[in-house]
Amino acid sequence: MKKLFIAFLFCAALFQNVKAQDFLYQESYNLLVKMLENPETYSFKKAVFSVENAYNNGILDTIALNNEISFLKTLSNKLLKSRTLQYQGKDKEKVSKYAALFSVLNDSIPIKDAKDNDFVYVPYRYDFNDPFGHENWKNMFVSKLLQTRKGNCHSLPYLYKILAEELGVDANLALAPNHVYIKHKSEKDGWYNTELTSGIFPIDAWLMASGYIHLDAIRNGVYMKALSNQESIALCLVDLAQSHQRQEFYSLDFVIKCADKALEYFPNYVNAMILKTEAKGKKIENILASKNTSFSDVNKYPETRKILLEIQSELTTIHKLGYRQMPEEMYLNWLVSLKEEREKYTNKKITTFKPPTN
Amino acid sequence: MNTKFKKLPLTLLCGLIGSITFCQVKLPEIPQPATLRVITSNTNPVNSTPNRSFSTSRPNGMAVYKQDKKRIEQQQNERKQIYSELKAERIKYSLPNYSNIESTKYYRKAFDQLKTLNPNDFSIKEATFLIENAYFEEQKDYSEFNKTIRQTGDFLREKMTELEFDQNSNLAKNFMLFKFFSDTLEIKSKDLKHLPFKYDFEDYLGIKDWSKMFVTKLLRTGKGQCNSLPRLYLMLAEEIDAEAFLSLSPNHSYIKFRDEDNNWYNVELTNGMFTTDSSILQSGFIKSEALQNGIYMQQMTNKQLLSQLLSDFAMGYARKFGYDSFVNQVTNKALELYPKSISANMIKSNYLTVQFEYVARQVGINPRNHQELQNIRFYPKIVELLNSVNTHYKQVDNLGFEFMSPRDYEKWLASLKESKNKNDNETMKKQFNIKLKQNLKN
Repeated sequence: MKKLFIAFLFCAALFQNVKAQDFLYQESYNLLVKMLENPETYSFKKAVFSVENAYNNGILDTIALNNEISFLKTLSNKLLKSRTLQYQGKDKEKVSKYAALFSVLNDSIPIKDAKDNDFVYVPYRYDFNDPFGHENWKNMFVSKLLQTRKGNCHSLPYLYKILAEELGVDANLALAPNHVYIKHKSEKDGWYNTELTSGIFPIDAWLMASGYIHLDAIRNGVYMKALSNQESIALCLVDLAQSHQRQEFYSLDFVIKCADKALEYFPNYVNAMILKTEAKGKKIENILASKNTSFSDVNKYPETRKILLEIQSELTTIHKLGYRQMPEEMYLNWLVSLKEEREKYTNKKITTFKPPTN
Repeated sequence: MNTKFKKLPLTLLCGLIGSITFCQVKLPEIPQPATLRVITSNTNPVNSTPNRSFSTSRPNGMAVYKQDKKRIEQQQNERKQIYSELKAERIKYSLPNYSNIESTKYYRKAFDQLKTLNPNDFSIKEATFLIENAYFEEQKDYSEFNKTIRQTGDFLREKMTELEFDQNSNLAKNFMLFKFFSDTLEIKSKDLKHLPFKYDFEDYLGIKDWSKMFVTKLLRTGKGQCNSLPRLYLMLAEEIDAEAFLSLSPNHSYIKFRDEDNNWYNVELTNGMFTTDSSILQSGFIKSEALQNGIYMQQMTNKQLLSQLLSDFAMGYARKFGYDSFVNQVTNKALELYPKSISANMIKSNYLTVQFEYVARQVGINPRNHQELQNIRFYPKIVELLNSVNTHYKQVDNLGFEFMSPRDYEKWLASLKESKNKNDNETMKKQFNIKLKQNLKN
């Protein structure tokens, strides 16, 4: 009897826990949708942390994270005061902030504390271990980056965007296959790219001539487009759905709902489309399993046939937009190629704070 | 008795009330010195601007100097303002017109004819001839030009028969055209021979001589550049009924065509090669915005092609005479046909710049001198002109344009001949041969 009671308690607790987490996902979804509908409530920091908090069962230490961010903000401001940028445009103030942010994320910076003790600030690094979050989904997170000082092409540009907004300037995320980077526009140099995983400013040819991107994907704005704030929130919605999928119990309808909302604000967001078709595929599997049959019977039932046709037409759209799958190994080689062919692909026009020579 | 007693407090009350209300009446205030105002009449200017600084404290040398300086500056500004207003009346805001030059009439005539063309269906042969002949002041003979193109068309058709190419296949026709530009072709039975066209490195931008850009020059000398070669290709394609498109990349134009399965190919005529998209992108001057706006690497529609020809036409006029309202007129037409045209937008920016500099110089301001440029603030109309120049440059930037220097361009052209691209070209040629043979079998 006693054992049974404990078992019951345990189950109840588990159930409660699952319910609580569902609530967190729903809450995050609501927050993101609110930001999309009322742009004045927009905050990329809040959006990203709400997603990561949902995955972390609501125990994300936002106070520590905010402290870390405000430290980085202070450091950027100190840099701005102590160094001057060799840039002659009317938008110098803005461009200087971009340069300061770039230094904070990439350079070692000597600093002094109140008692005149010397320290060296160590910048963030790229984490080659598990760059796609297969082993641990948290490896994609900004919170993980802030805690370990190591991140990837997801968390680094996200942190950059958060910091830019803290400094009162904008930063546009941009997509490439399996990749996120930053696009800025300045009066002198027009649009230019900031690549945080290798800390350089590559010209567009680096991505375009790599051979991994179909030109139609660029023409259609699937890749290499400066994303608006709303489109960036659409990315968060897909992050949310992907986090949700990694839970033990998850709802396909929630995943599809997130993808649909993302597509409403970023219609050519290929990752959202793929997420949706995959979820629909699983739906077919579930329906067929409930009928005790296999995939060969997919055309037998009107409900599964309908979904299958939807998937087929969606896949055609995805292909037409210029999306091609890029193997993960290829991705890493390509990322490294940027460092190897630095000379060829560096945008030499961009001015930065020169790292101290001593 | 009772009533009397009652009345007493009543009068008392009345008296009290009276005294209270009386106390609240405001007495006229005694005038205070601070509230006194000096009444000054306008007729007496001396009183109206009393200089108190001398009476209140001893003058500080620096303060006086500063004040004087400020006053002088102010006076100078006022004077400038007055002068500028005087000058502004005499400023000519539009560029001098070259219509008094006799030979501009050929351009105006050609423009009238170009305007009558149907943008969706026109002959590139005719349009190109009109444009080049205007430059040559109608000294060229159309029938001769036409004959050359006709004969070349016949030659190509005959060669296709000899090679047993499918006369209806777009791929075969384009492959034939490609061979015509890059190989030596012979028809032995008729003793006809055609040598490949060569790239003319000398003055390929037509800076010394604009007619270097022309198809007539290419036909005469067998040498051309990235402007004339693709245009001749399009004319010949028109002649043998092949489908081919003009496409742009930074400082450059080339040919795009597709086969029956909708696979697209790039033909690079300056070196007679098939190129891959990535070798074009390697130039490093193509931004993603340029692709999103479709200004580069996109097959041009007929309408866009006519716009491009009009831009060439406007450029020819500007090179021959200079920028004036005619250039603007032609450019506006080109922009109407193709609002995002990079060439037309560039000419428009040039036109606006020349106009702005012309107007600025009239009031004695050197527009290239940053210091002097500050003085245009006295001329609101010139400021407006400068703003329109800047807005237009911004538009060009937003289209994804990036300046490519001639040196970078030459470097890129040379890189196309590097081994990797050569290999790509060879494999593509082989593929064509296979495809063409397959078509024959079918």
